[in-house]
Amino acid sequence: MCVTVSQNLVLVYTSTDRSVATLFAYVTRRVLISVPLLVIAMYLVHVGVSATVDPRSDFYLCLPRCQEGFDSITETYALDTNIFLRPFTYFASLFSGDGLGFSSSVGEPVGEVMRTRGWNTAMVAIPAFLLGAILSLLLSVYSARRQYSFGDYFFTSLSFIGFAMPSFVLALIIQVIFGVKLEEWFGIKPFNTGRKTGENFWELLRDITLPAVSLAILGIAADSRFGRSSMLETLNQDYIRTARAKGLTERTVVWKHALRNGLIPLVTLWALGFSALLSGSVVTESIFSWPGIGQTFLRALGDSDLDLLMAIVMFTGVLTVVFNLIADVLYGVLDPRIRLG
Amino acid sequence: MATEFEIDSQTDEMLETTMELGIADVEGLSEKPKTFGQLARERFFGHKLAIVGGIGLILLVALFWLGPMLSEWEFDERNVADRLLGPSAEHWFGTDEIGRDLFVRTAKGGLYSMRIGLIAAVVATVTGTAFGALAGFFGGVWDGIVSNLVNLVLTVPAIIVLSVFANKFGASAIGLALVLAGLLWTRIARVVRGVVLSIKEQEYIMAARAAGASNSRIMFRHLLPNIVGAIAVEVTLLIGTVIVLESTLSFLGLGVKPPNASLGTLVADAKGDIDSDPIRVLTPGIFIILIVLCVNFLGDGLRDALDPRAKGSDSSEAKNAKKAAKKARKQLGKQGPGYIAGARTDRSSIGKI
Repeated sequence: MCVTVSQNLVLVYTSTDRSVATLFAYVTRRVLISVPLLVIAMYLVHVGVSATVDPRSDFYLCLPRCQEGFDSITETYALDTNIFLRPFTYFASLFSGDGLGFSSSVGEPVGEVMRTRGWNTAMVAIPAFLLGAILSLLLSVYSARRQYSFGDYFFTSLSFIGFAMPSFVLALIIQVIFGVKLEEWFGIKPFNTGRKTGENFWELLRDITLPAVSLAILGIAADSRFGRSSMLETLNQDYIRTARAKGLTERTVVWKHALRNGLIPLVTLWALGFSALLSGSVVTESIFSWPGIGQTFLRALGDSDLDLLMAIVMFTGVLTVVFNLIADVLYGVLDPRIRLG
Repeated sequence: MATEFEIDSQTDEMLETTMELGIADVEGLSEKPKTFGQLARERFFGHKLAIVGGIGLILLVALFWLGPMLSEWEFDERNVADRLLGPSAEHWFGTDEIGRDLFVRTAKGGLYSMRIGLIAAVVATVTGTAFGALAGFFGGVWDGIVSNLVNLVLTVPAIIVLSVFANKFGASAIGLALVLAGLLWTRIARVVRGVVLSIKEQEYIMAARAAGASNSRIMFRHLLPNIVGAIAVEVTLLIGTVIVLESTLSFLGLGVKPPNASLGTLVADAKGDIDSDPIRVLTPGIFIILIVLCVNFLGDGLRDALDPRAKGSDSSEAKNAKKAAKKARKQLGKQGPGYIAGARTDRSSIGKI
């Protein structure tokens, strides 16, 4: 994950020239810059994807007999046009009646697939985000307040390991321990090992828990380290000493005065992490057989489903850009020293 | 081109510094000031985790390199009669579903992962450094082009594009490494750009320019040595990132393809039997974690050692001071309730030490 926080921000100490108008102008300018950038990116991705993914690969062997199917696929994806012109055909069809096209791997219109799968992804992503945000916040405050204590060392080591752990190892371990071994050892099965059954709310909760927890842990490992150092820096500032000297309770000092500043870098990390979660986690979803965007993407890639692939790329691209913007704006709003410029 | 004038000015500079040192000696600074390299080395070797990481990495490479030579099994030797064995004296990590020795496969796979990590990190670093230096040094149009290029790459959803291209080019180590490098150079480009921007306005660059040094001389003689530290840190941390990414792609079946094996494919091969035989999943998984942990420790140590703002090996000193303070507080606490309050209000200043 790349943090693109400070690139568009100018650090200027100002008094009060942040107003709604400046914010609006800033957002407008950023959107105006982002749109062409996104279009260029989509063009390049389309060229790249159609150069590497061949929807006709299954047809070459049977060619004289299945000429008809071969031709229809050629026509659907405009495969006979030049590869550098093909994106334009795609973009043109976006704005004509076809919309996002038809997904050959799922057998539904792409728009419909994106809607249902996107909703499934969000069902896991939102709890994972909330859990990760709350725990990373608590952990960073704890570690910063008790620097070099046993607990601090313990959580630091854990986050180092979590940081080095690939998502598939974590997801597999969690799946085996909580999904399978608990039943073997104790005869209870508190969680399902994936697959959306979704008969009622409780079943759904049992489905969601394990994928959401494994996604949350990955976020916590990185965010809590970051939050710890940010909180430490804040707690050592003079105004915190002033607050203590005034006789404020420790709780007020930490949770009201320090947290407000210590939180700023974390908020931007959260915004970026949330966009990554919403675009679907390829690994975790496929391990837990969760029918979200990530799993659908793997299927589309395996079946050379060009329209669905492009839709997913566009979806995640837009999410990345939008949440980058949100992160930058939040950073500016939360920290008065930073002027959006 | 080094003109005579420039050489003169350099020797002058050296003379001046030696003179200054001499004066400092006379004035009673008994200790000789240490060079940056000495300080960095001191800080690095004072950084326990970095040493652990470095030694661990050497041990891992040695194990992966020498282990298969000591083993009597071949990387691709099938022996279906001995399939799915547990760890034993003969097969250290057991065997897989077609009877191949898993220790040899893990070692080869680990080496393969490390090789891809190294190639990708080096390519990404060279590209990123070149672009970043270009943007920072020349500014203007170049800066615009590079910055927008960076933004463009960041707009593209990384894992998705990686999957698409790795699926196509992942069969060879070089191909997979290049695909990974193509997306990972942006961070270094940004770091280098920032460092170059801040350095190029400093007086010694101006002096070099005034002395008639060419752009390339300034870049390679004056700028590069100053950004080597930042680059070294980024390379190390990047290797860890690449190894995780590579193993993830290979796990999904999109990266390394058979007959080659990487730690990711070994996990993928074993994941079907994870309920009955979790060890086969855990061994390659643990090796990934170990490699990345060591690499990250090394990177952290390098970062602390090469940070020009840091002084001495202060991390351990600060810790000792903290321990002393804690001890003092405890003793104060024993003396009576009146002192406890004092100790408590003092906590903020303890945090500062």
